[in-house]
Amino acid sequence: MKTTLLSAASFLTLASLASPALAQTPTLTISVYGIAQDAYSEALYRPFEAQCGCTLVVETGNSSERLAKLEANAGAPVIDVAALADFNALEAAQAGLLQPIDTSKLSNYEAIYDFAKDPVGGAMAVGYTFYSTSIVYRSDLVSIESWKDLFQEGLAGRVALPNITTTQGPLAIYMIDKAEGGTTPDLAAGIAAIGEHRDDIVTFYERGSQVPQLLQQEEIAAAVVGRFGWANIAKLDLPVEWAEPVEGQTGGMNVLSIVKGTQNEELAHRFIDYWLSQEVQTKLAMGLVDSPVNAAVEVPEEIAEGLTYGAETAESIEFIAPQTMLDNRDAWVAAWNETVAR
Amino acid sequence: MFERRGIGLALMLPATVFIAFGFILPVLILLAGSVQVGGAWSLGHFVEFFSSPLNRDVFWRTFRLGLLVTGVSAVLGYAVALAIVDSSPSAKGRLVGLIVLPLMISPVARTYAWVVILGRTGFLNVALTGIGLTDEPIRILFTETAVFIGLIQLFFPLMVLPLVSALENLPADVVPAARVLGASWFTIFRKIILPLTREGLVVGGTLVFVGSLTAYVTPAILGGSRVLMLETLLYQRVAVANDYASASVIAVILIVMSIATSVLLKRLATARGER
Amino acid sequence: MRGLGRLVLAAVLLFLIGPFIIICLAGLSAGETLAFPPQGLSLRWVARVFEVQSFRSAFWLSIWLGFGATLGALLLGIPAAYALERYDVPGRQVVRNIVSAPIVVPGLIVGLALLRHLVIPAGIPVTLALFIGHTALLVPYAVRIVSASLQNLRVDMEEAAVLLGASRAGAFFRVVLPNIRNGIVAAFIIGFVTSFNQVPVSLFLSGPGVSTLPIDMMFYMEFNYDPSIAALSGLLALMSFAIVLVAERLLGLSRYV
Repeated sequence: MKTTLLSAASFLTLASLASPALAQTPTLTISVYGIAQDAYSEALYRPFEAQCGCTLVVETGNSSERLAKLEANAGAPVIDVAALADFNALEAAQAGLLQPIDTSKLSNYEAIYDFAKDPVGGAMAVGYTFYSTSIVYRSDLVSIESWKDLFQEGLAGRVALPNITTTQGPLAIYMIDKAEGGTTPDLAAGIAAIGEHRDDIVTFYERGSQVPQLLQQEEIAAAVVGRFGWANIAKLDLPVEWAEPVEGQTGGMNVLSIVKGTQNEELAHRFIDYWLSQEVQTKLAMGLVDSPVNAAVEVPEEIAEGLTYGAETAESIEFIAPQTMLDNRDAWVAAWNETVAR
Repeated sequence: MFERRGIGLALMLPATVFIAFGFILPVLILLAGSVQVGGAWSLGHFVEFFSSPLNRDVFWRTFRLGLLVTGVSAVLGYAVALAIVDSSPSAKGRLVGLIVLPLMISPVARTYAWVVILGRTGFLNVALTGIGLTDEPIRILFTETAVFIGLIQLFFPLMVLPLVSALENLPADVVPAARVLGASWFTIFRKIILPLTREGLVVGGTLVFVGSLTAYVTPAILGGSRVLMLETLLYQRVAVANDYASASVIAVILIVMSIATSVLLKRLATARGER
Repeated sequence: MRGLGRLVLAAVLLFLIGPFIIICLAGLSAGETLAFPPQGLSLRWVARVFEVQSFRSAFWLSIWLGFGATLGALLLGIPAAYALERYDVPGRQVVRNIVSAPIVVPGLIVGLALLRHLVIPAGIPVTLALFIGHTALLVPYAVRIVSASLQNLRVDMEEAAVLLGASRAGAFFRVVLPNIRNGIVAAFIIGFVTSFNQVPVSLFLSGPGVSTLPIDMMFYMEFNYDPSIAALSGLLALMSFAIVLVAERLLGLSRYV
């Protein structure tokens, strides 16, 4: 007993001696999507750490999950910079969780597309990427021409849809609603269609990172995903394709925001600026991770095809305005819980 | 018993204060949130919670799976415990060790094993299609069946252990005596074994039922968002919606169900025992 | 009847233990993705487990937390159990109920309550909250196991020591403690394993850069379908197996579970 106590005590002493050594360099804590962290680490995190002499601490999760944490920690923020879906950033801004970005501190601000400059108003966020949302599918098993094809017989029990709580969830419902001839903002036709086929849907995923995994496990043969997930899906050793449904594709924008009460304002601005730079945006684009918002980025054609590339493409996507999303989401969730989730 | 009450009190104080302020107080504040709407006392959150069909489904699913897991564990538990008690003393120790072993292993590791087994390309489906029992792989992962299997494996040992110790305390000669008198095996079980091991069954049943109600890892990994249980629903409400009202309601439901189960089962055991 | 019982026993043991054999073998796969039977055997994924930085830091946090929380629970629990068994203090039942309260509260709720009503308002760091949560969780076990050991120890022995001139404290340290040693070691092992494997309490209390090994495993699983989690699961299973074996040899642990 004595020896156990002794060794435990010495262990505790060692541990407490070791921890302050870690906290000496300045630390910037960022909250991002969990997808493609290896690529981000190489193209963004490590070069930035080398440049600023600081340590990046990365929290991952889906957008609403991390927004909930921001709200929970509002009194004593632990996050400095958050990457969120545009409507989540608007929600955070309205809840007073964000502070305006001083765009004069961003040397790359003028280089980004106009639609990315102030997407939620009040300089509360800048867009860092935009994406289309469509269907990935196993081309050896099925073919997808329309959003309705998600419910074809060959896919019964082999489809994953994003849960309504994710960023992609409402986007998927929106397009299915459109394919089903829905015309009302309550997306009733889309939700009804999904409800009718709910037993054919393997799971409603909570984080986009699950999709490549589910494909690899062969649990699913098709899923609705955002383009930012494509790189990880395309590199699977499987015949997977990106559908171009006749009804078109929807999409969204992801933005960077500074959390109110951050102790690292300077570093936060530097980090955002670096993320928007031509260098980083090019690297992330070349890795098929994020479509660039920096207009100066040029990528070869075969890469551009893998991305949602360029201002023209952005024009062609049916985005849902952040405010519309916020206004209707509660009603969508209620209808979803009534007909789909149960 | 020693007389010096002051010393006794002083010895109890640190643990009591720690648990009261570091544990009970925060939990009570959280629970209090369930009966307050905008500062006033109200059952509004409960009404709202149960008005959602999704929440009602999750509630009943949790209850149903809990009962099912407990029932199946009890039936199998008696069979296993009887076989263990029946074996030689040296084998007995080893068998109990084997039953205890899974309890010490990380539930995440335990549950993950089932992903490898129950998946579409998993061991079970490979085996089933291999011997020609099915043409198409069966869908098990992300269904209630998968959660059920995971929970049984997780909690079964908690049923067996109390049953083994209850059976060990059975007077050595009652079963042989009954058999000599010509009682059927079923009668022996119903009239002798069951009443005399009731306490073990109650302990095991409480552990398994409450464990299943409050499991998180298994429904999260094997069920996903299609097979929500109360704990995974609670996580989802908090993590994605910041909905503390629902979270506190679920917390109250889980704690009340846990306490009610143990009290009720204990009552049942003693009431029947007195007859 | 006996034959049937044996059969059920064998089937149940296969059901309980089989998955670990499968996961260990899956972790030894040479292939890129998780599969059973494994595609060739290799140690590459076992090696990978030790290369993943987050596993390493999470492992040490879990070890640290397991030791710290168990030690804390014993330091609080042993005196409490001793007082509950040996002193006739008014309100004993209340104290008993208070110290066993953590058993009836599901872990997820503990984590949430501590986050909302301790970490955020009091501004304490997440690691401290993890320590508090885990310690609280283990106090009931510590009290229960130590109480059971004390019940088996006759009060006369202490009385004799006191009559022979030892102080109360001296009697405790020289007579009682050595005699309940096995119970304490058992409580330590069970406490450590419980804390090390704990998920729900830690789930809400994990912050950026701070996560325990089981939580980190759950996150990793979501992003990857390679055999490294199987390899890690297998390693953890072997570790638990070793602990059980040693404990069984030392003191017959199955008596305390």
